Amino acid sequence: MDNPTRDDGAAADEALIARWQGGDQRAATELVGRHAQALARFAVSHGVRDEVEELVQDTFVRAFNSLQSFRADSSLRTWLFTILKRLVLDRQRAERRQRNKVELDEGHAIDEFDALDGMVADEALVRVRQATARLSPMQRDVFALRVNEGLPYAEIARVVESTEGACRVHYHNAMRAIKEYMTDD
Amino acid sequence: MTDCPNGLMRDQLPEYVHGVLSAADAARVAAHLEECGDCRDEVALLETVRADAEGRTPHINVAAIVSALPRPSAVTGRPASGRIRSTRAWQFAAAATLVLAVGSSVLWQRSPEGATQRVADSSQVLPTPASTAPVATAAEQVAPTEGMMFGGGLSDLSLNDLESLLGQMDSVRTLPSSQPESMTPVIAVKDGGKAL
Repeated sequence: MDNPTRDDGAAADEALIARWQGGDQRAATELVGRHAQALARFAVSHGVRDEVEELVQDTFVRAFNSLQSFRADSSLRTWLFTILKRLVLDRQRAERRQRNKVELDEGHAIDEFDALDGMVADEALVRVRQATARLSPMQRDVFALRVNEGLPYAEIARVVESTEGACRVHYHNAMRAIKEYMTDD
Repeated sequence: MTDCPNGLMRDQLPEYVHGVLSAADAARVAAHLEECGDCRDEVALLETVRADAEGRTPHINVAAIVSALPRPSAVTGRPASGRIRSTRAWQFAAAATLVLAVGSSVLWQRSPEGATQRVADSSQVLPTPASTAPVATAAEQVAPTEGMMFGGGLSDLSLNDLESLLGQMDSVRTLPSSQPESMTPVIAVKDGGKAL
């Protein structure tokens, strides 16, 4: 699909990386500014509530330490999402070990969202959150990257380590599940 | 809430919401939305989810993150432009001090007749004529006989000259003497003169 807007963004990232590698520290500020909020949104969609900024910072530190090995066969944003996802999973595993608990199941995820829903006045918003919380982790990742960030399936597939076709199926299943939940009483 | 049967169109709705479709694709989706209530509902849902995600996400302090990032030189191995690596800074300072000392000493010693007589001091590293070798200082014995000649001050040297000097200094492995050298000046006369 012809997509000049996204291509322009990737080209701008590559130019900023080259500037930073040439010693221009301001390029780092621009790079972080372009992607920090998107990374934070992705972290929140994973259920991260505390230390979102710390997670985003860790993501950038890791990325900048490895920029020499960055290949432009995927976009910088996709690469950053991949790093963040791994950090989130590492953190969740560490937390589970610390609590000596078995893997979080769907019920736990719903409980987390239910607690926040009490503070939300908009009934439709409450329903959307509850519906999203019921998605499988894979569906939630694909749905978040597609809806919140507008990523194409090819890039989503890189982040979630799946195929483009599987991601398309996950997205439409997630959308159908949310619609059904919204219309159910 | 039902699904529009046009799967291709539905597939593009998230990108339409984000405004990342090409102009032609965006126009096609917009035309479809005018006549498809299901897709309008889906776009409304997408916008709700997206707005909710933005509302729940804390604002990220970009400056704080940037301050924690590695410097480009630390990662790429190249020095940042306009900066001298701190590990070498003291060596440049030492080289500059030495150049100043030698340069000013030579200039001070130059006589109106053409600088045939020179007064050696403990910091002099110039080679001495063979006739005065017995009274040459330790520094003179260790100093190489070429590549260490200075005739001017620091302002005459470029950064490249300084770096060259630094490289030569690295090749001269002199250790400081445990005994302090005599403070008595030694006068070296070029053409068979006596040393005092």
